[in-house]
Amino acid sequence: MRFDVGDRVRTQNRNSLGHTRLPAYLRGRDGEIVRRLGAFPLPDVRVSGSADAPKEELYTVRFAAAAVWGETAQEPDVCADLFAPYLERAE
Amino acid sequence: MSVHASDHEASAAASNRVKRLVAELERRGILEERVLDGIVEDFLLHASPANGKRVVARAWLDAAFKKRLLDDAGAAVAELGIDMSHWAPVELRAVANTPRQHNVIVCTLCSCYPIALLGPSPAWYKSEAYRSRVVRDARGVLAEFGLQLPPETKIIVWDSTAEARYIVVPQRPPGTERLSEDHLAELVTRNGLIGTAAV
Amino acid sequence: MTRINDVGGMTGFGAIDVSDDAPGFHHEWEARVFAINRLLLQKGVYNLDEFRDAIERMDPLDYLEASYYERWLHGIETLLRAKGLIGAL
Repeated sequence: MRFDVGDRVRTQNRNSLGHTRLPAYLRGRDGEIVRRLGAFPLPDVRVSGSADAPKEELYTVRFAAAAVWGETAQEPDVCADLFAPYLERAE
Repeated sequence: MSVHASDHEASAAASNRVKRLVAELERRGILEERVLDGIVEDFLLHASPANGKRVVARAWLDAAFKKRLLDDAGAAVAELGIDMSHWAPVELRAVANTPRQHNVIVCTLCSCYPIALLGPSPAWYKSEAYRSRVVRDARGVLAEFGLQLPPETKIIVWDSTAEARYIVVPQRPPGTERLSEDHLAELVTRNGLIGTAAV
Repeated sequence: MTRINDVGGMTGFGAIDVSDDAPGFHHEWEARVFAINRLLLQKGVYNLDEFRDAIERMDPLDYLEASYYERWLHGIETLLRAKGLIGAL
């Protein structure tokens, strides 16, 4: 799945038992793609030691404070660099 | 810290552990001990906040460079002859402070940090206290560092969760119009490059 | 599932010690750990994700008690042992 700058996305409620780079505080949150960073091996796979972990697109996603922490939070906005498999398109 | 051993004891124990590890790795032909000191020296030689300060000073003086820096920081930094990828490729991103927006960097998951431009990271950056709280109460965290921002300044926290490493380009202080590039670089602090200081 | 390293938004860690510690390494053993890790990564003995994973899998109490480079040391030893490159130390 590929995204473009400006796309609204939602992070998955991804509860991996293993190594991942989707922080818990950003699971199931709505944000916006602000930058495409290129493609890199997915950490969740590369952790197995495989030399040919598939490359996945990496995006900087910006989250409003209220989206992350709830309605009463007004700041800070948080940006995190997240791989395409962690994201889905938000309606 | 451990409640069972003083810092000194813990450090002595770690020191012994490392000695045994090095001896074992040498015995098995995996590494040679004499190479290790060279690696440390090489690291400290190439990784310094002086690099980051130079980048900021140049950005303050040269608007076109600043634009290139914000667009493709890796290429811009390479223009200054700074070796970011000394032994591994690094994806660098620069984010600029403005009167409306202040940027702060963190790595909540481990403490990733652009060591080539900033040198070794400070203990506070690696602490659970910083990593846990700056993404929730950035303004409060900055106040602990003595940085009070105007209420209308928006704070953005950048969590370095993947390959990219971030540096902040602070705002140029007023009254510095006549300063040379070297003097401007001296105004920049390492905390300013992380976002926990104004400059 | 959430691992102990995943602390974003966690509460209770108290005030930040903002004092500026200048040296990169406070003890020689820390510098050694740094160098060993660099070397092993460079040689491809393990990759960065394996290294992080080994630290993330620490017992939470051990993780919180350990200093930064003690965590690195744990990660290095765990991986080397798992790959059969060292025995029990």
